[in-house]
Amino acid sequence: MNARESVSHEQAIELLPWLVNNSLDEREKEAVLEHAQACVICRRELTNLQQLQNSISDTSSTSPLPEPDLRNINARIDALIDRQNWGRELWSRLREALDSSWRIAFAAQTVALIVLAAVLFWPEPRSEEYTTLTQVQNLPDGQYLRVVFSPDLQQSQLTNLLDKHKLTIVGGPSIRGVYTLGVTNTSAYDDILLSGLQDDPDVLFAQPVIVGADR
Amino acid sequence: MPQSIAGKALREAIEGKEIALLGRIRRGDRGAFSELYRLYHPRLFGYLRRLLPNPATVEEVLDDVLLVVWKDARKFRGEAAVSSWIFGIAYRKALTAMRAERRYQAPLDHDADASAIAGVSSQHDDWIRAALMRLSADHRQVVELTYFSGFSYQEIAQIAGCPVNTVKTRMFHARRRLKVLLPVLAGQVKEQTSERA
Repeated sequence: MNARESVSHEQAIELLPWLVNNSLDEREKEAVLEHAQACVICRRELTNLQQLQNSISDTSSTSPLPEPDLRNINARIDALIDRQNWGRELWSRLREALDSSWRIAFAAQTVALIVLAAVLFWPEPRSEEYTTLTQVQNLPDGQYLRVVFSPDLQQSQLTNLLDKHKLTIVGGPSIRGVYTLGVTNTSAYDDILLSGLQDDPDVLFAQPVIVGADR
Repeated sequence: MPQSIAGKALREAIEGKEIALLGRIRRGDRGAFSELYRLYHPRLFGYLRRLLPNPATVEEVLDDVLLVVWKDARKFRGEAAVSSWIFGIAYRKALTAMRAERRYQAPLDHDADASAIAGVSSQHDDWIRAALMRLSADHRQVVELTYFSGFSYQEIAQIAGCPVNTVKTRMFHARRRLKVLLPVLAGQVKEQTSERA
């Protein structure tokens, strides 16, 4: 609102109480007074409000006021300060008492966190690849058997047994004692050979490996 | 509040002094607090006395207000005048006290004849006070802050924490109600006074 800007009747009549209490800024004051000069309703309202303001000012100036008494509020502030000091003192004592314990607890927590992180993120050792006894492996073409001998079998007995069946060791023994044997006399590789091996008390397990079938 | 150049300069000087006092209070200066207490006691006492139906609670609420000033001096950011900030605290404390007192009192019947109040009001200020008591808490506050405490509508909006248009609307309704109440109350008092004479 500027000095030359006029106000509507609604705006002016709303602002009258603050014209009366002299709190409008100069621009508003001029605009409202300008409107009131031309408006009977606002002039009448202004007179009424002026009378109300005068009555109120009279009552306000004649009503006796008690002397300020700070005793009560000073006591409340003292109590407040006491409480604050007590709280601060308690906190500082607590900190002193727990100072060393805090450090120990902090160190223990740090160690626990490091251990936990190591357990969670340490790379797991690679487990041995799982294989079955008859699993096909990279072998040259030929005929092969997987055999597990009795643990009581002596070296000489093993040699005799291999010679007997015309077999040679191609691989093994594995961790579990499995030998891969090549059949040197392929014409002898038949069910009789396999049955003979399986019936031998020094052979715990014998199965053919059919190279190329599952590759 | 007067808006003339001299009045503005005076207000600025007062504001500067009050801000300095608050700064000292923030650092725990009890002397500054006593000074501010004495400065605001008359205004706050008058304000609260006119708002609260029970005079016994006025001093108590006044101390509550100034205790908040002591505790929260560091929260004053200078966004409003010191007086608006302090009256804002008083406004909220007064509203709480008014609501608490209303719980323990029979509610006033706003449409009843005002003679019931005039019957117990024999003084000029009594019937104004009686009329104020028949306004709602929000309307009573805006009338009090305007006519008795002399705040502008912008300051009242800051004190009450509401938009300026709300202040104007509350004042509009309060004026309508006062127009009905005051002539009735004044008439009753005059009759009683002449009867006694």
